[in-house]
Amino acid sequence: MNDEARDPFEPLNRHIFAVNQAIDVALVRPIASTYREVMPAEIKKAVNNFLNYLKSPVILANDLLQGEWKRAGETTERFFYNTLALGLVDVATHIPFHDEDFGQTLAVWGIAEGPYLVLPLIGPSNPRDGIGIAVDWFIDPVYWISVNNQWDGLIYGRTAARVITARVDTIPATDDLERTSLDYYAAIRDIYRQRRADEIRNRATRPTPRVFFDQYRALIIQEQPQPAVTN
Amino acid sequence: MLDRRLFLASAAAFCLPALSARAAAPEAAKTFVRGLANEAIEVMGNKGSAGPERLAKFRELFKRGFDVDAIGRFVLGRYWRDATEAEQQEYLRLFEDLIVHTYAGRFSEYSGETLTVLDARPEDDRVLLVTSQVNRTAGPPIRLDWRIAEREGGFKIVDVVIEAVSMSVTQRSEFASVIQRGGGKVASLLTALRDKTKNMQTR
Repeated sequence: MNDEARDPFEPLNRHIFAVNQAIDVALVRPIASTYREVMPAEIKKAVNNFLNYLKSPVILANDLLQGEWKRAGETTERFFYNTLALGLVDVATHIPFHDEDFGQTLAVWGIAEGPYLVLPLIGPSNPRDGIGIAVDWFIDPVYWISVNNQWDGLIYGRTAARVITARVDTIPATDDLERTSLDYYAAIRDIYRQRRADEIRNRATRPTPRVFFDQYRALIIQEQPQPAVTN
Repeated sequence: MLDRRLFLASAAAFCLPALSARAAAPEAAKTFVRGLANEAIEVMGNKGSAGPERLAKFRELFKRGFDVDAIGRFVLGRYWRDATEAEQQEYLRLFEDLIVHTYAGRFSEYSGETLTVLDARPEDDRVLLVTSQVNRTAGPPIRLDWRIAEREGGFKIVDVVIEAVSMSVTQRSEFASVIQRGGGKVASLLTALRDKTKNMQTR
C-alpha cells in the first residue's frame, strides 16, 4: 500500500478514472477542443464572464463563511458593477475575480480532506470536496430560481458550459501530462491535491514543503558523492 | 555599558558585509533565471536548425541550468537506496532523458510568450525561490516559480513549480506509485522509463 498516496480505494478509483477518461476522449475533450478553436474570443470571454457572474452568490456565501470580509466586499462590488452589463462584460476588472467553494470553506474550518476519491463524471475529489460540491449546489440561488421558474435550460446549459469551459482551460496541461507522465492517474492525483491546497490558501505563497529540506539537505546543500557515471 | 555598545557596534560592522552578501544572492538568482529562460527560447525557437541538433543544444543548456542528478535522486526518494548501483546509473540516465524531452516539448510549443521575473527570496541558507510569470497573448499569466540551490560553482535549478504544482513533488509521488504497482521493485520503474523515453524520442 502506498501510504503517502492516501488512496485506500485506489483500485475502484482507477476504474472510475478510466471510465471518466473514456467519456472525456469520446465527448468532453472533442467538444471543448472545437469550442476553443471555433468560438470567437469575444464570445468565449462573455461566456466565462457570465458563468463567473452567476456564481457570485455562492462565492460570496463562502467568502463570508470563511470570514474573508475584504474578499466578500470585492465579490459584492463586482456583482453590482457587472449586473449593469448583464454579467456578460466584466466592467469591474479593477477588482480581480476570485473563486471560492464550500470544499475550501470546510478546509479553512480545519476539516481534513479524507481519502482520495475519483467521482463518476466529476473526476478527482475527496469527501470534503464532494460535500462541498453538494452544498454549493444547494445554497445556489440561481439553481432555486431556475427550479421555481422551470428554467431547465439554464440549469443544464450552465452545467454544460461549466464543464466545457473548465476543460478548455486544462487541455494544454493534460495533453502535456499525458505525453510526459509514467502513471497519469498518480500524477493527476498529486496535482489535484497541490492545486486544491493552493486554492485553499487563496494562492498565497506556500511555505516550502518540509520534504524538500529533509532531502535537499542531503542532496544539495551538503557535499554529495558524485555518481560514477557521467552522461 | 560602554563595552556593550562597543560590542554592538563591532557586531554590526561584522554583520553588515554578511547581510549585503546575502541580499545580493536574490538579484543574482533572478538574473540567472532570466538568462536561462532567454537562452532556452532562443534554442527552441530557432526553427531553422534541425530537430535533433536543437534538442542536443537544449540538453546541454538544460544540464547547465538544472541539477538533474539531485532532482532525480529526490524524485526517487527512499527507493534510491533500494536500487543497485547499476540501477541507479541507468535511472539517472533515463530520468535525464525524460525531463529533457518533457521541457523540450514545452518549449517547442513556444509562441511568443514572455517571462517576467518577479521576486526572489531565500528559503534556506542555500536555497532560493524565484517567482515569475509567463505572459500569454490569450488568457491570464501563468505563475511559474523556480527553486534554486546556491553552489560554489553558481546556481542550479532543483525544482520548477507551475501554478503551485511542483514538478519534483508530482514526479516523486508518480514514481512511487509505479514502483509500488510493480511489486516494490525499482526495475519496474526503469521499464516504464525506458518505454516512455523511447516513445517520446520517436515523436
